[in-house]
Amino acid sequence: MKLGWPALIPVPAAAAFAVVVVGLALMPVVVDFPPYERNLFTVAFLMVSGALAWNWMGGYLGQVSFGHAAMFGVGGFVAARLMLQAHPTPAPVAWLLGGLAAGVFSLGAHPMLRLRGPYFSIATIGIGEASRLVFTYWEEFTGGSSGLSLPIDIGGKARIYWWALALMAIVVAASFVIRRSTLGLQLLAIKADVDAAADVGVNATFYQDLMIVLSGTVVGITGGLYASFFSFIEPSDMFGFDRSIAFVLRSVIGGVGPVVGPVLGAIVFVLLRQFLLASYPQLYLGLYGLLLIFIILFEPLGLTGLALRLVRAVRRRNRRAAQGSLA
Amino acid sequence: MTAQLLATRALSKSFGGLRAVDGIDLELGEGQILGVIGPNGAGKTTLFSLIAGSLPPSAGEVFLKGTRVSGRPAHKMVRAGIVRTHQIVRPFPNLTVAENVAVAALHGVWRAAGSPRARAAEVIEFVGLADRADDPPSALTIAGRKRLELARALATVPLVLMLDEVVAGVNPAEAMKLAALIRRIRDERGIAVIMIEHVMPAVMSLSDRVAVLDHGKKIAEGTPAEVAENPLVVEAYLGKGGATA
Repeated sequence: MKLGWPALIPVPAAAAFAVVVVGLALMPVVVDFPPYERNLFTVAFLMVSGALAWNWMGGYLGQVSFGHAAMFGVGGFVAARLMLQAHPTPAPVAWLLGGLAAGVFSLGAHPMLRLRGPYFSIATIGIGEASRLVFTYWEEFTGGSSGLSLPIDIGGKARIYWWALALMAIVVAASFVIRRSTLGLQLLAIKADVDAAADVGVNATFYQDLMIVLSGTVVGITGGLYASFFSFIEPSDMFGFDRSIAFVLRSVIGGVGPVVGPVLGAIVFVLLRQFLLASYPQLYLGLYGLLLIFIILFEPLGLTGLALRLVRAVRRRNRRAAQGSLA
Repeated sequence: MTAQLLATRALSKSFGGLRAVDGIDLELGEGQILGVIGPNGAGKTTLFSLIAGSLPPSAGEVFLKGTRVSGRPAHKMVRAGIVRTHQIVRPFPNLTVAENVAVAALHGVWRAAGSPRARAAEVIEFVGLADRADDPPSALTIAGRKRLELARALATVPLVLMLDEVVAGVNPAEAMKLAALIRRIRDERGIAVIMIEHVMPAVMSLSDRVAVLDHGKKIAEGTPAEVAENPLVVEAYLGKGGATA
């Protein structure tokens, strides 16, 4: 009997993915790439990575976090401190260590795993806000409200484009692999019914912890890259609640769950923010909220759902056309 | 006498002042089917939850092949070889039938030969859902979902299978088929079964022994015929004077 089973990644998809990544990697070398666009791309890569990592919890496990800014902040400040030390750590090592610190920090969410749905989300708001206050008042470490400045390095800033791209490529690949593997299958079972999953042998607590740590680590790494990229970080911004909300928004706009969702969402988020901020700085937040309300009201699966709907509509029309020509 | 597989010793669970399960001793031999009956609220499902590790016992112990397993969480019980089904079926609605079984087939790996994938396929075939493998559980009838619940449990290659009212709630024809399936699970796979059941013809014909629970206590145990004759059992079901009425 043939059995549906999480298949390996299809070769054409993997090839297309490789072409896109290589294309993006060569872009600054081959074509004239103005710094403004290049910076926009860099930020987009970081946002895509963060959104996908958020989706590992929010989409794969169904545990919607409103506290991911805490991981972003911890990763950013640990990396920044390491780079500012008397014997500075090389930036990539600092980013990685910052990510690991954020991963360990995110295990603070472990006691909340018994909460599901809205209760978990509310608890994450608490963790996020508590972290923001603690790190804002911990002036020896974060510089308090005056923040930390990193030495400005123009060439280094340009190179972050490739680092961010590499991170995004890894996170996109990991998202697909997790989704298609037996791990992904078990995560979906946990998402549907934690107790029933445990009753067929799934170690639900372990897998939830695993995903929280992985998600926190990746978000922490993006925090470190972000710190290097802007050369200045400040706790109330890094740990800010609107940053936590932004993690949720990117996935919701793109579609929570499937891998393309957060990717689309993050790209649209970055472009839209740039456009709205430039054209309607006063209306920016209002327009953003309006867009969000429309998406939640009319298409819960976000842009991904919209795209699927379009595909289905076109297929229906083609079928009808085919039947019409037969008649 | 067959070798002892599963035993509980003074197994108890209290919820506040309520003793839902009160000092239950049970024994299950290899290849046996043990029926557990009793009026509503007798503590049957709670007893299952204690044995399967879904709930920690307040007191008492569970032994599997002489090893104390009580206190372990549910997923470790599955690894040890004890698996349960639910009275109200709980398929994963976001997975297909095949994927539902595949999740379970990933566990209990070292007790079975072959890949989890092959095992999932074999179990789906065994319970008669082969043609529905790629459907979502919502496309199945209630009886189909009960079969899925069985398939999921079987995919973990259990030593002890605990069935919570699998036969109840389906039409008589389906009930007969499900009862036959339970018998085949024991006869062809050698899995020992504990079944909670309200459908008396099913439980009386399938069980080697029957234990009767009332208010959390075991009030009788024996062969189906012995239990049916026991005045305490009749009283638990029909009330005092019911036997003469």
